[in-house]
Amino acid sequence: MSAHRFHPARWGWALLGLYTVLFFIFVFAPIAVVVAVSFTAEQGVQFPFKGTSMQWYARVWEYKPFVDSLLTSLYLALSSAVAAIIFAVPAALWLGRSQNGIATGVASFLLAPIAIPALIIGMSLLYFLSSIGIGVSFTALFIAHTVVSISYVMRTTLSVYRNVSPSLGEAAAVLGAGATRTFIHVTLPLIAPGIFAGSLFAILVSLDNLALSYFFGTANVTTLPVVMLSYMQNQFDPAIAAISTIQMVISIVLLLIVEKTYGLRALTTQ
Amino acid sequence: MQATATLRPARPALAGTGAPRSRRWLLIVPALAFLILFFAIPLLQNAGRSLGENDAGVFANYIKLLTDEYYLKVVVETLVVSFNSTLLSLIVGYPVAYFMVRRAGRLALPMLFLLVTPLLTSIIMRTFGWRVLFARRGIVNDFLMWADLIDRPLNLLNGPMSVYVGQVHVLVPFMVLSIIPVLRAVDLRLEESARVLGAGALKTFFLITLPLSKDGIVTGVILVFMLCAGSFVTQLLLGNGSIVTLPLLIFQQFSLTQDIGFASAMGNLLLLLVLACLFIQLRLTEGKRGNK
Repeated sequence: MSAHRFHPARWGWALLGLYTVLFFIFVFAPIAVVVAVSFTAEQGVQFPFKGTSMQWYARVWEYKPFVDSLLTSLYLALSSAVAAIIFAVPAALWLGRSQNGIATGVASFLLAPIAIPALIIGMSLLYFLSSIGIGVSFTALFIAHTVVSISYVMRTTLSVYRNVSPSLGEAAAVLGAGATRTFIHVTLPLIAPGIFAGSLFAILVSLDNLALSYFFGTANVTTLPVVMLSYMQNQFDPAIAAISTIQMVISIVLLLIVEKTYGLRALTTQ
Repeated sequence: MQATATLRPARPALAGTGAPRSRRWLLIVPALAFLILFFAIPLLQNAGRSLGENDAGVFANYIKLLTDEYYLKVVVETLVVSFNSTLLSLIVGYPVAYFMVRRAGRLALPMLFLLVTPLLTSIIMRTFGWRVLFARRGIVNDFLMWADLIDRPLNLLNGPMSVYVGQVHVLVPFMVLSIIPVLRAVDLRLEESARVLGAGALKTFFLITLPLSKDGIVTGVILVFMLCAGSFVTQLLLGNGSIVTLPLLIFQQFSLTQDIGFASAMGNLLLLLVLACLFIQLRLTEGKRGNK
């Protein structure tokens, strides 16, 4: 009798497990296939293919817009993340210890750029910047990406700082540490994981933010997603697979650096 | 949390922030000023631009957007596609969250990493991957032919189906990540009680587990809906014009259009849609806090 009752449940779990495996195949199939195609020896995109080569990586290396825009994207992502830290960390320090209605409202406002579609931010900012005399340029890209990066750094720093007991900073103050020393030796090390995790998010989002970059690119200065999109609309060859794989490897390396430095707990406790 | 909140006012200066209490509010000024200047003002300016000064009236652009047959269809399609993608992500993602919480055990953490890793790849990379898989002579068609399900290769690309597959692929990790924490908090004893009282596995799931994980579902649904309503890359690269939504139209018309006011109105309508989602989200989280 009991065996009869248990069977359907066991089958259910087996089916669910199988479904989960299929789900992860679905998640990874399009990514794996791009990495594979980047090593093809064929002249066009096809999968499965015969023979491997590095010819498409050579093509990426020779195609100047890819290299230039990748460097621009990296520089943009890093510099806007640094700017975001400078803006967001002090703000998080105030918001994390204020619980009144104003602080809640301000926090929602500072986090809003994450939720608003980047396309709208980009379009609106383009007209605003040109009205104050900043045309399409690296400066414009930098401002646009900093707007969004502030929110990402803010979000993780705030959530980490809210879990730090205020008494630690107070203890340092009671023991005679000045405000600056308390900040550098007590508070900063405690909130560093939040800052790192937020910056990592900001950099990863910035590297892939086509909508935000699209409006500000010039013939000379533009970001990788914009170049990839226009390349893909004109020709469909494995060079896109190669540059995509390079970008993915860069992202993974960044993730591993943060993981080695501070662990990824700050990312998963979100 | 509550205990520290009540103690706080009695305490002296809040040390550790690097500034004396009286001038501490200055810490917020740079971030606030930057985002007012480069975020709030541009969006308000955009809203202002969308209100025309022409003969047709202040709301002429919006009237056109909501009455013209083509544009109304685009607005409706934005809502429909976002709704469908969200529902599909929920249906696809919920069982995975359920399995990860209840049966994955020690594998749960590695699976969580697997779920997050696709977020490290660009959306263009993933749409490229689908183009390769769905190609006429691609692996999906090969498999269907091999399994004798079809006689000749199907045209899988450039239609609503490939757009939905691409959208769900991008969105489903966010759904699973939203559901997992809530599902983890569901009291297993409630399920056991239901089973002891004679409810079957499915009945227990639909009467106990699903309602109790409602919060995670709502969080995930709003998040995914918002993300979807603002996205256009999948539709652009996998849809080939079969699905046109507001963000795609804004993107495509941006360099062509002379009518800046109308483009601003499209952007502002999309903004209002997202703000409505944010408002609902805020009300729900506030309501939850109020109950506790």
